[in-house]
Amino acid sequence: MIPETHEPAPVQPGMIGPCHVGPDALIGIKRQQTNPSRWNGQGWQGFAKALRDSDIDLRENRYSLGLFATDAGGTAYGLPHGVVVARSAGQISSLLKAAQQYRVPVTVRGGGLTTEGESVAFGGVLLDMAGMSRVLHIDTDALTVRTEGGIFWHSLAEELRRLGMDYLSAPLNLTSSVGGTLGVGGIDVNSPRLGCSADQALSVQVVTPTGEIVECSDKQNAGLFQRVILGYGQFGVITEATLKIRPYTPLRMHYFYYDTLRTAIEDMQLLNRNDASDYSGILTIMDCAVNLLVAFDSDEREAAFRANWQPRLRGYGEPGFALCMLRRYALRPWKLPEAWYLYRRKRELFPEFRRPEYLRDGLMYDRTVVFSRAVWKFWGSKQMVIPDIATSAEKFVEAVEQGNAVCRKYFPHYTLYCVGIKLRPEHKSHYEMSCIPPDAEGWAYGCEFEPMMDDRVYSRDHLQSFKNAIYDIGVDMGGSYYRFGGMMKGYIRRVFGDEVVDRHLAMKREADPSMILNREVIF
Amino acid sequence: MANYIKRKQDAQKEHPDCSGCGLCLLVCPLWRRNRDLQHSPQGWAKALQHGATPTELADTVQDCTLCRACDPVCPEQIDVSGMILKLRKRMTQPRTAVLQERMSAQMRRPARTYREKTALLAGEALRAQPELLSHIEVLLGKKSALAVAEDDGADISLAIEAGLEIPSERLAVLIEPLWRADKVIAADGLLLPYLAQWLPNAKIFSLGETLSSLKSVRLNLRATDLYVIEPRAYHADYVRLVKHYERLRKECGCEFNLDLQRIAIPATSSGLPQRLGLEANDGYVPDDDMQARWVLHGRNNITRIVVESLEDRAAFQKVSDIPVVHLAELVSSLEEAGA
Repeated sequence: MIPETHEPAPVQPGMIGPCHVGPDALIGIKRQQTNPSRWNGQGWQGFAKALRDSDIDLRENRYSLGLFATDAGGTAYGLPHGVVVARSAGQISSLLKAAQQYRVPVTVRGGGLTTEGESVAFGGVLLDMAGMSRVLHIDTDALTVRTEGGIFWHSLAEELRRLGMDYLSAPLNLTSSVGGTLGVGGIDVNSPRLGCSADQALSVQVVTPTGEIVECSDKQNAGLFQRVILGYGQFGVITEATLKIRPYTPLRMHYFYYDTLRTAIEDMQLLNRNDASDYSGILTIMDCAVNLLVAFDSDEREAAFRANWQPRLRGYGEPGFALCMLRRYALRPWKLPEAWYLYRRKRELFPEFRRPEYLRDGLMYDRTVVFSRAVWKFWGSKQMVIPDIATSAEKFVEAVEQGNAVCRKYFPHYTLYCVGIKLRPEHKSHYEMSCIPPDAEGWAYGCEFEPMMDDRVYSRDHLQSFKNAIYDIGVDMGGSYYRFGGMMKGYIRRVFGDEVVDRHLAMKREADPSMILNREVIF
Repeated sequence: MANYIKRKQDAQKEHPDCSGCGLCLLVCPLWRRNRDLQHSPQGWAKALQHGATPTELADTVQDCTLCRACDPVCPEQIDVSGMILKLRKRMTQPRTAVLQERMSAQMRRPARTYREKTALLAGEALRAQPELLSHIEVLLGKKSALAVAEDDGADISLAIEAGLEIPSERLAVLIEPLWRADKVIAADGLLLPYLAQWLPNAKIFSLGETLSSLKSVRLNLRATDLYVIEPRAYHADYVRLVKHYERLRKECGCEFNLDLQRIAIPATSSGLPQRLGLEANDGYVPDDDMQARWVLHGRNNITRIVVESLEDRAAFQKVSDIPVVHLAELVSSLEEAGA
């Protein structure tokens, strides 16, 4: 077991304390730690005894702790003092009450798909929500599902599909958890039409940081609902959620290829503004091969698109784009290595998106499986940094072009993923201090900038400098970020300003007097 | 383009390559039951990355069903089931004396060499049903061309599963009689990849694939059938077999025990202790009912369950009133078999 540690030297509020998350995360950033002193292990023994007295299975052996040493990003490492697998709201309530009493930090983990260490525990107890992953009730008439918060979206889809149903929108990643996603956003290629995943929640059961079990929605305990949705896990643990669902439909996919980002983004925004497609998004190989994917749930929608909007798109089909690329590299023979990379990448990627077991009669079944498997296979690695920027529609092209220039500077190969998010005016209060930029109206747009590691080893300095350079664009343009916690939390005050952050911090202090819940994430 | 499951023989990836994506959790019956990372391939890989010893992992690794569903879904193409078997090899195995004795006994039995070009390794469950075995012999046709091997390697399969070394003498007793065979059909899915290594000149097929390739069998499949694929054989040769069963689906319209990742959901969840007839160290009792119920969950339109494996038949009969038949039983007469 990890021994109790000595009391650390006090750090005055407003001073920059030692950054245990990533000491090299501070390049170029004046970091204001609102919660500057790191928990030092004090009170752990009493806390552990309290849990055991409540029959909570607390694991403290090396094997159990090591499982959670890092997240999907693989750049932040830390160990909890103990791990608890979530089993019920009552158990979590007891845990949080004890944590308040003994001032022990609680880090909540869903699928562990954060990239900035948000789901890594640096001491304290780690609560593994995957233990609560049952579907409780599916109502095919009311088109809702009640599920436990730790369930992976894919596990939910498996159950829904048996009844011919599907969720509305979820991250293109099979092992994102519902609770974690509702806390941060969740973006799908149908988000331009249906909004982010967090907007699909009708109500949630929350265990507050002080251990109360509360049901909340837009009508019931609305204040808590506003704080919990897109609240980065600061105001409670989502133990159950009621989500909208819909009848399942396979997709008819169309791909359009561009050689400039600007044109592709403008075309995507044209489609979104005019509700011309059911799904849209941009996936690139660097900035040379830009793929606008457009998809439809019904033949009628597809026919309307073909008649009204397809002629206005400026992208090429596959053969046309191949000719375009031939011309481009014939005139720039010194860029042949880049052309060779594009060709190899295309040969790897395209068949994965056209696997016959997922394509029937021209329709794509189980798009999330297709995309998620491809994402992990061709973009995933043990170390991943995926800085992002979210802006209003008007600023988006500029932000992506600036971010692209940063990518070009730092890495030989990279990918951009752009998508729109339809905003719900009535949820404006949910959006404050979240991934939704404050000036966005109608749609917000997000772009992820993901370098390809290509088996190279980069220092954390290099990766952090890259992320900072991307995030600086967001600061300059008044945007926001999907991943603004963990190692990037130094940007929170810079991008949202002291007034907003202090207001949320005051709410947090009121809701969580000992500041124990997910304390390393944003405050 | 490398296929999803295609193994790079020269660069097999192992637990250090696990990126923690969690895709293996989604298909793991052990994880499904426990919802606990410690009971999952990802958990074992991550634990090893952080210095856990095989002994620390012993109890949970023993509970793995070796359905091999984790192999085809791993985007890093880690040989996950290979990792599990290696772990079992490195564990202390105090309770496998019976198995060692079984292998020794097999070594002492005289081996018969077959002249037939096709050999069937029927497995213990099928042997226990001689009528069905005889029926399968007829279905596979030309009795004179098919030999039902007296030694079907059931003890070897269990030894592989337990992580025991197979004595070369024992292996020779199994393999040498099969050297003349062009085609070997095995009911035990676990043995298939090993047979392919041991008999490089023979074509190796599962019994399920062989029977489902027969026109007479296919003709008797209905759109309201739930066809239950034997997971071990399917996952061992996923890239090829996913196409085989997709063709079968198109032709017959039946449902399969496939999840959205096109992984076969096992109907049973027996781990090593149960297969050896022992009690698990950690007191774990697999809940076969839960797995079989999950396969059936929400499939309200099916009128018949067609299984490739006899173990699956027992599991479904326990939890459902829907008729369960073995694939071979779809063809009831010789006339039909010749159709």
